[in-house]
Amino acid sequence: MNKYTFHVTGTHCAACKILIEDVLKEQVFIKNAEVNLKKETVEVETDSEQSIEELAEALTSKIKPNGYTLSVVRQGLTTGGKEIIWKAIPIGLAFLVLFFILQKSGILNIGIGGQATPTTSFIIGLIASVSSCLAIVGGLVLSLSAKISQDNVSDTKTFLLFHIGRLVSFALLGGVLGLVGNAIGINFTFTAILGLVASLVMLLLGLNLVGVFKKHKVTLPSNIFNFFRKIEHKTFTPLVIGFGTFFLPCGFTQSMQVVAFSSGSFMSGFLIMFAFALGTLPMLAFLSFGSASFAHGKHAPLFFKSAGVVVIGLGIFALLSGLAGLGIINPLFNI
Amino acid sequence: MHKVVLIIVIFSLVVALGVIFAGGEKTSVQNVEIKNGVQYITIDAKGGYSPRTSSAKADIPTKLIIKTDGTYDCSASLVIRSIGFQKILPQTGETEIDLGTPKAREPLQGVCGMGMYSFVINFS
Repeated sequence: MNKYTFHVTGTHCAACKILIEDVLKEQVFIKNAEVNLKKETVEVETDSEQSIEELAEALTSKIKPNGYTLSVVRQGLTTGGKEIIWKAIPIGLAFLVLFFILQKSGILNIGIGGQATPTTSFIIGLIASVSSCLAIVGGLVLSLSAKISQDNVSDTKTFLLFHIGRLVSFALLGGVLGLVGNAIGINFTFTAILGLVASLVMLLLGLNLVGVFKKHKVTLPSNIFNFFRKIEHKTFTPLVIGFGTFFLPCGFTQSMQVVAFSSGSFMSGFLIMFAFALGTLPMLAFLSFGSASFAHGKHAPLFFKSAGVVVIGLGIFALLSGLAGLGIINPLFNI
Repeated sequence: MHKVVLIIVIFSLVVALGVIFAGGEKTSVQNVEIKNGVQYITIDAKGGYSPRTSSAKADIPTKLIIKTDGTYDCSASLVIRSIGFQKILPQTGETEIDLGTPKAREPLQGVCGMGMYSFVINFS
């Protein structure tokens, strides 16, 4: 009988302990398994003659589908451990500074006069994708993408579905707006509340990416993370989130919705909103697929933490703006 | 040693963020005029509102004119809670909003739908 201790990653919640222990104990050669959430270790009693490395690999293959991995050496420590956060904070802050300088510079206030055509809609989409809308839509995309890549969900498929869902729903809803000639998407309070929800999700995921929850073991109620984990694996989730971005508070999107419903026909509304969504695609695709490629590269821990810092910053900005937009607090800043 | 450098970098970045958020024009432009006993306050809406702070007289009928010029950003979706106004402004044009007869020391605040742009009018 041998006793081994492995390091485990991916334990977000109290329920993870039970799940991992159950899966491991199902293996014939495992006599006992005990997870220590605080230390992020698993103690295993086995009568297997395999080496500790082989054992780690064999057991990881069992719990990998649930997003956990076992290793002999603590992951993260091998690539710098706590030092990473000290690099991630300046990198994240630098991105935030650049982003807000860009907003403040006025470069993005290019006047686009005249009739909105699909071409101008496309250009407006390009501008919107680097504007303050990026704080909320881009922040959400970045946080979800990083989280999805971190959890090893099949990310390419998920991102494709998200972007397809977004393009299709913008086009269709734009068409409907043109047909109905009415402002369905433009209830201020509704979009503002949706924006608050989005900013809270960003804060939560941002803190998670930085590793606050892990380090101090602030285990959220396990059902929240189980819920996240469950919906991450569903095909329709990215489609629905893509659809939902139509209603997120973004001045540009709202302006384009007005253009669409005053355009007078299904086809023109369809084309205008589709062109707009297409214009926002390059930036958002860059954020999601960029996350994926970083996440599988060797700088992954640094990327996750930096992305976390950026997302937290944008989340705070979106939250305070959203509260001000709802009239709950006084506007704290003007960008 | 390395950490000290990083802390200095972090600190200066935080200061930079603070400057970006707190900074902005403080000068007030002449944007209030009285014609035929009606006070007109003009504010430009594009990439924010300008001027951000206006001073006007209280106790006379007042109208607010918001000018847009190829405005697609958030400042086109204007909310003025105190008078229950919320509307997506036309991309280019002037929108006249009746403020009634404002009272002194009751500033009027307008904010864009997402909340990152705002303006305030003080009455005295």
